[in-house]
Amino acid sequence: MSDSIVIKCRGLVKGKAEGEALVAPTTLSFWGEVDPISGRIIASGHPLEGKSLRGKVLVIESTKGSSATPLVIGLAHAEGNAPVALVNINVDALAVLGCVVNNIPMVSELERVPFEIIETGDHVSVDADNGIITVTKK
Amino acid sequence: MELTAEQQQIMDGAKGAFLAKCMRWLVEWGAAMGARRLIPVTNTHALVTVPGNLVWGANQKTIDNAMTLLRPACQHRVCCHSTTHITFAHEEQYDEIEMPQEQVEAQLEVMEMAREAGFLMTYTCAPYLVGNVPLKGEVCAWTESSAVVYANSILGARTTRHGTESAIAAALVGFVPEFSVLLDENRRATLQVDVTAQLRTPTDWGALGYFTGKIAGLDVPVFQGTPQPSQEDAKQLCAALATGGGVTMCHIVSVTPEAATLEQALGGNPPKLKVTFGDSELRDSYSQLRIHTGDAIDTVILGCPHASLNEIAEIALYLKGKRLADELKLWVCTAYATRANAERLGYAKMIYDAGGYLFCDTCPTNSMRLDAKRIVTAGFKQAHYARNMIKAEVIVDAVKGCLDAALTGRWSYVG
Repeated sequence: MSDSIVIKCRGLVKGKAEGEALVAPTTLSFWGEVDPISGRIIASGHPLEGKSLRGKVLVIESTKGSSATPLVIGLAHAEGNAPVALVNINVDALAVLGCVVNNIPMVSELERVPFEIIETGDHVSVDADNGIITVTKK
Repeated sequence: MELTAEQQQIMDGAKGAFLAKCMRWLVEWGAAMGARRLIPVTNTHALVTVPGNLVWGANQKTIDNAMTLLRPACQHRVCCHSTTHITFAHEEQYDEIEMPQEQVEAQLEVMEMAREAGFLMTYTCAPYLVGNVPLKGEVCAWTESSAVVYANSILGARTTRHGTESAIAAALVGFVPEFSVLLDENRRATLQVDVTAQLRTPTDWGALGYFTGKIAGLDVPVFQGTPQPSQEDAKQLCAALATGGGVTMCHIVSVTPEAATLEQALGGNPPKLKVTFGDSELRDSYSQLRIHTGDAIDTVILGCPHASLNEIAEIALYLKGKRLADELKLWVCTAYATRANAERLGYAKMIYDAGGYLFCDTCPTNSMRLDAKRIVTAGFKQAHYARNMIKAEVIVDAVKGCLDAALTGRWSYVG
């Protein structure tokens, strides 16, 4: 068992969740770039193309684009295919709304740059209530 | 967040469990976004529909899920002028788009319930074309990112970018959390775009928006040096700005109500970044959405965002007396109200006679499994999303280029 890394952050949407990290230092539009039912990223050329969001802690710069963002999160959530937590650098109001409505914890304002620490496949535990994420390297 | 006595009572359940939940959504959302209070809202635009058809892979579970929001919501009355965003099929088009019976039934139920609740079912992504035209300073809660940019930037109204749940909640409780462009300090321009390119068509304005949206992030751009835009120019600019990134508003010097001058738009501050949109940037924007392996095309989509009556008239008069290429599909998308007017004026018939289709309440990208291999469209927004959602090659061009392609079945670069 490798050591855990603890990073302080701001809890935007309360709750706790953990899962495998899905990491890309880029943006993602849920509308048009994510299949709402399967929770898969369908955008051609996106660094996470083909990956499933199911059960993942999504570590990206921010979401962007359409106001259908909360709706797509909700549809994926209803199918059990949504991410379990969002770790974002920039805060897109629509992702926050999607997380509020679907009870998905979301954090931002990390004290360290997550892309320098977290890699896809690492185990990440998100505690938005206390503003802490814990990373266990794969 | 500080709540008034009335807001706290709604949160505590004085108006029932569903409105308490709506209030909680607005409060938690606002708190996360740094809002300090909720303020009254007088105009909303919300998605009030069952989920769409094939692209969305809607099934009984997704219908049930939507109904768990819409049934309790429609037990209440809206507090203010509330129009509706697109749906996924007009009632005359259920067969056309092969909409399954259970979705048709659910949609008919929603329309009945929503009317009783006081929603005005405009079913459009461009409510400002069919009578929802908020005034300068009016606090709104609009969904549809292109319409949000239009409301803030062209009309001077104030709305953050809403999702389905927040817009419906705002319509029912009459409040929104005060953050983002609802506050003066967040409406000032931070990114200056000097426009030196010649903008000849609405699609050229879309190219400007697409370019700027990609570099703007969450910044507020100001455009200087543009000609006076038409309503269609402004529509394309706003839609493309919201496509490339997360823009909520922009300023066009001497057009935006808060931007009589560049200095006023910037609020007396220097811009964080200054860029130029010249002829090479214009060409680059187009070339990003003109990646194709051949010239034969099978589908042309116009009306993204929904076409104005003026655009429909132009399309109809261009097609009058002509025939589209064999097997070619031309979809012109618009609001029901606009289509009704186009039918009355004879423009709809000109489009039908040429072999085209005037599709209302929705657009094929949202509602159909389009069997298309190569699409030409005049909207940068449509082109951007259709690439992934339809998995077709997509070419963006001005309306005239799209119509020439529809008539010949081929698209070629004219310049």
